[in-house]
Amino acid sequence: MRYSETLIEHFRNPRNAGMMRDPDGVGESEYPECMDLTRVYLRVSGGRVEEARFQTYGCGPTIAASSAATELIRGAALEELVDLADARVETAVGGLPADRAHAAQVVSAAIRAAARNAVARADEGRRRPAQGE
Amino acid sequence: MNRRVYLDHNASTPVHPEVVEAMLPYFAERFGNPSSIHGFGREAREGLDSARERIARFLRVSKDEIVFTSGGTESDNLAIKGVAAARGRGHIVTSAVEHHAVLRTCAALEGQGFSVTVVPADGYGMVDPDDVQRALRPDTILVSIMHANSEVGTIQPVGAIGALTRARGIPFHVDGVQTFGKLPVDLDALGIDLFSFSGHKIYGPKGAAGLYIRKGIRMASVQHGGEHERRRRAGTENVPGIVGLGKAVEVRERDMAVEEGRVRALRDRLWEGLSARVPEVRLNGHPTERLPGTCNVCFRHIESESIVLGLDLKGIGVSAGSACTSGNVEPSHVLLAMGIPLDWAMGTVRCSVGRGTTAEDIDYVVDSVEPLAGKLRSLSPARV
Repeated sequence: MRYSETLIEHFRNPRNAGMMRDPDGVGESEYPECMDLTRVYLRVSGGRVEEARFQTYGCGPTIAASSAATELIRGAALEELVDLADARVETAVGGLPADRAHAAQVVSAAIRAAARNAVARADEGRRRPAQGE
Repeated sequence: MNRRVYLDHNASTPVHPEVVEAMLPYFAERFGNPSSIHGFGREAREGLDSARERIARFLRVSKDEIVFTSGGTESDNLAIKGVAAARGRGHIVTSAVEHHAVLRTCAALEGQGFSVTVVPADGYGMVDPDDVQRALRPDTILVSIMHANSEVGTIQPVGAIGALTRARGIPFHVDGVQTFGKLPVDLDALGIDLFSFSGHKIYGPKGAAGLYIRKGIRMASVQHGGEHERRRRAGTENVPGIVGLGKAVEVRERDMAVEEGRVRALRDRLWEGLSARVPEVRLNGHPTERLPGTCNVCFRHIESESIVLGLDLKGIGVSAGSACTSGNVEPSHVLLAMGIPLDWAMGTVRCSVGRGTTAEDIDYVVDSVEPLAGKLRSLSPARV
């Protein structure tokens, strides 16, 4: 098998799959060369990821990387995820063959976008007075 | 759990036990070089000659018209480059749904000053003989149209095209790799002058194939060296492989007619199962003029490779219609030529049934695809 056991396990049993209602941050990334598309939803508490979910259209490695990454980033600080390196997602999925490196790239880009979105929403929330005051 | 189902017979087939048995003596006992004049060489030559005769009889042609090659790709290269080199210049007509062995060979010749017209195909992947007729020019030196498409299985109207080329004295090459030994082929009636065929698609070994060259067709050598194959293809023949190819043809001659009906029924059972149980699927290729074993299916909003991987984990071997290489997806040129929308084409899977396939295998595949397609779609943001 050319894929790692971790990758196959995540492909067989994807964790945190599906959309999230009222997320605190959403990010999307597309890898145009192969049309892989990943959307990541974040629930944030105290500046850290409480829950992450994903939706992915793509090959097996991209689906597996999405699943592994949502586990990886649970508990992580948003400011850390804004700069999430592709390599961390690749490691989380147990490595990728060179011709599937894009799987980690598309997923980490979606996470960075979701983290930026969550930071922006939080800033906006702080600037705006709370409802009812 | 440990069930294994092979549904990729258009890619390759398991070597038939009778073929293996026929080949074995030619590795260590009758190992001689068929060009040698001593007894060791003569033994190998006998194996080569009888394979050539068997194949010539099967194709109803003369044995001098058969040239052995290393594979379908080499046969296509020899046919096209051989005719082109003999003429030196001119115009070639081919189609958008050909195998890369034909399309890229024509493109290479275009770079060398030949002109090439690529005729389109319709939504079933079928070429219109009228388009071929319109493409013909006074300087046309070759028409190359495949017999059946390896991806979607559509069988081309080669007889109608052969009538056009024959009336004008233009050599007609047909890549018959997917029909040879699967369907009856009458080269003369179809007006075919050059016909590529291969062993490993019909339960023969890899590395043994051939090209029929009608007597009188002007050809130049593409590969230079010794005097092998009547100076049309230099290089010591792959004797064990060719003996296997000959045996494979003998077995096909015996079993082909019965197997065709059985394989066709299994193919239809597969499509009926998939279309009844999986939403948003479509069958590619011609509804009737199609290879008996080929079932090419699009799953909308699913990516081909994820289905192939998911089925692989269930022990099922099928092939992806859109190949992702180095992070670049190349949707099949055949599906694009057929005008299949990208959101469907990206989720194309080819299943090809063969002699070892059973009804239980087909049911297992349908049972496996249904939940897999549901799961992959549930993961996808594209499903709106």
